[in-house]
Amino acid sequence: MDSLSQERASFLATLAERVVPEVEGLDLAGKTRFFRIVDDALKARSPSLRRQFGTLLGVIRWLPLLRWGVPFERLTRGRQEKVLRWLLGCPFGTLRQGFWGLRTMVFMGYYGQAEVWESIGYAPRFDGNEALHA
Amino acid sequence: MPDASFDIVVVGSGAGGGTVAKELAPLCAEGARVGVFEWGAKLRDDELTGREVEMAHRLFFDSGGMLTKDRAMTLAAGRTYGGSTVVYTGTSLTIPLRVVERWQVPGLEWEDIERRSAKYAVENNVHLLGPELHNDNNRLFVDGCRALGWRAEQFPINVDGCRGAGLCNLGCPNLAKQGTHRVQLPAAEQAGVEVITNAKVERIGDRECRVTVRNPGFGEPSPWAPGEYRVRSKVVVVAGNAVQSSALLLRSGLGARLPALGRYLTLHPALILAGEHERSLSNFVGHPKSFYCDEFLESDRFLLETCMYFPFTTAKNLIGFGDEHSELMRAFPRMQQILVLAIDPAREDNRVTVDKRGNPVVDYRLTGGVLDALHRSMIAAAEVFFAAGACRVHAPAGERFFIPADEQEHLDKLIPRRNVRPGQISITSAHLMGGCRMGADPATSVTDAWGQVHGVPWLFVADSSLFPRCSEVNPYLTVMALAERVAERVSDRFKELSSS
Repeated sequence: MDSLSQERASFLATLAERVVPEVEGLDLAGKTRFFRIVDDALKARSPSLRRQFGTLLGVIRWLPLLRWGVPFERLTRGRQEKVLRWLLGCPFGTLRQGFWGLRTMVFMGYYGQAEVWESIGYAPRFDGNEALHA
Repeated sequence: MPDASFDIVVVGSGAGGGTVAKELAPLCAEGARVGVFEWGAKLRDDELTGREVEMAHRLFFDSGGMLTKDRAMTLAAGRTYGGSTVVYTGTSLTIPLRVVERWQVPGLEWEDIERRSAKYAVENNVHLLGPELHNDNNRLFVDGCRALGWRAEQFPINVDGCRGAGLCNLGCPNLAKQGTHRVQLPAAEQAGVEVITNAKVERIGDRECRVTVRNPGFGEPSPWAPGEYRVRSKVVVVAGNAVQSSALLLRSGLGARLPALGRYLTLHPALILAGEHERSLSNFVGHPKSFYCDEFLESDRFLLETCMYFPFTTAKNLIGFGDEHSELMRAFPRMQQILVLAIDPAREDNRVTVDKRGNPVVDYRLTGGVLDALHRSMIAAAEVFFAAGACRVHAPAGERFFIPADEQEHLDKLIPRRNVRPGQISITSAHLMGGCRMGADPATSVTDAWGQVHGVPWLFVADSSLFPRCSEVNPYLTVMALAERVAERVSDRFKELSSS
């Protein structure tokens, strides 16, 4: 990814697997597409927003230190989800908004790939009316 | 900086700009030079791929993800040859009499808008799809509403040759949607109007526009070479959508003389609910938005509409993440969706401003009344899902991710009002209105009833930014009707404006 350091991109992948568990099962091509979509979306944003996104990743990574003494990636899955649920409804607007933005990015990176459509049963066709009464 | 001279410049090519272009095209035969400057690209037919992320980037401002200042709402507006008429679902309703009466604009009569709307309904082939073309998603909505004793009405839509791709919001790949890109703009160009795409109007000075042309790497290249231009014009008509038109006029320095500029923005706040059925449905094939329910429009100020969005859009509008979220996404073929829309009031401090770089900032607060309406609309939508046989429902303000059918008697508790909080649920808008509202008083409005900017006789506005209040229905036919009025005023005064 051009818009994130290798370390932060790697952490993004860890987070993505909590947001969309199926990210873990993506093959190399799928993961490459995931990062390309997110990277393109970040590059379309302003430099300050890209910096904020990177900072947010850092905050999420080290926030659990306060409660559990370890960074996010070393938490159990259950605790990782707990952290993210707290962020989803976080009383601090900046953090909450940041997490919602991150969530959107992950959904874009995964569900924005036509290659995953089959796994969710989405099969658009330009002659959709032919399938109406199939 | 290269100079160009026109007689009339139109900013934007959507429902407003496209209509103005076509209605003023006859002036070309009299020697007038009319130019439409469209920020977006003109896509080739083969570029309408139906791939969600790709098309969002090509067709929408900020890929459909423009945020309000407080980040509580996402705004979607088209940026392409044809504007939002390329990306809306084609629903074409005439604005109700009661709405125009509430607008209270001297010189604006409902009968006039109704007559003009009827003209564009014919021009755009607006009609009702036959029942054989209703998919399950739409039929279940009707079944659910009727089981509850509620009105379900069919949307007339502007299509010709619809094959039910269900990709209306990503640009119809079958070229069936009769937006300005298919109807009004080609007619205008045939009559001599020039359309310059990939052209952003940066500022408007005294009868001139500063324009930047930049090709984005998709679509047809602009007919003008990339660079900056000074475009002189005797008349300028601004029709860039409510947010962009307001922003353009603000960064052009008109805010000082027009205190209402950018204000009284209404957004028709909306959100999506999903119902899961036991069986597979025809939901993402067929026209996605064929019915609505206005049972509660007057009493509770909300509408219900059918909808069916694409995977990414669906995912980001569901609340939560993880296993439950994935479970519902994997039920995509069994998913029914309903869009709820709240009627929002026109408040002075809901407004468009511009930042230091002249970019629009949408400062909009959801009122308690609107949140109440969204709350009640979610309960109503859930009732429709269950009445239609859904086994469980996802509501953005739900206490739990899923509400099962056997708990539908407790919707008031399971979708509590306290959960309807800005920033905690996904609220969107695709109907941007106000900011340059019509009225008689320059202290509280920006244009007169004919879209002429107060105190600037050569400057007009011709898009939904004219709306003094929410239109309560899909705005496009109304925009076209108002745009025709603007074109008439320009045409009637053209000689006078040309010589002054």
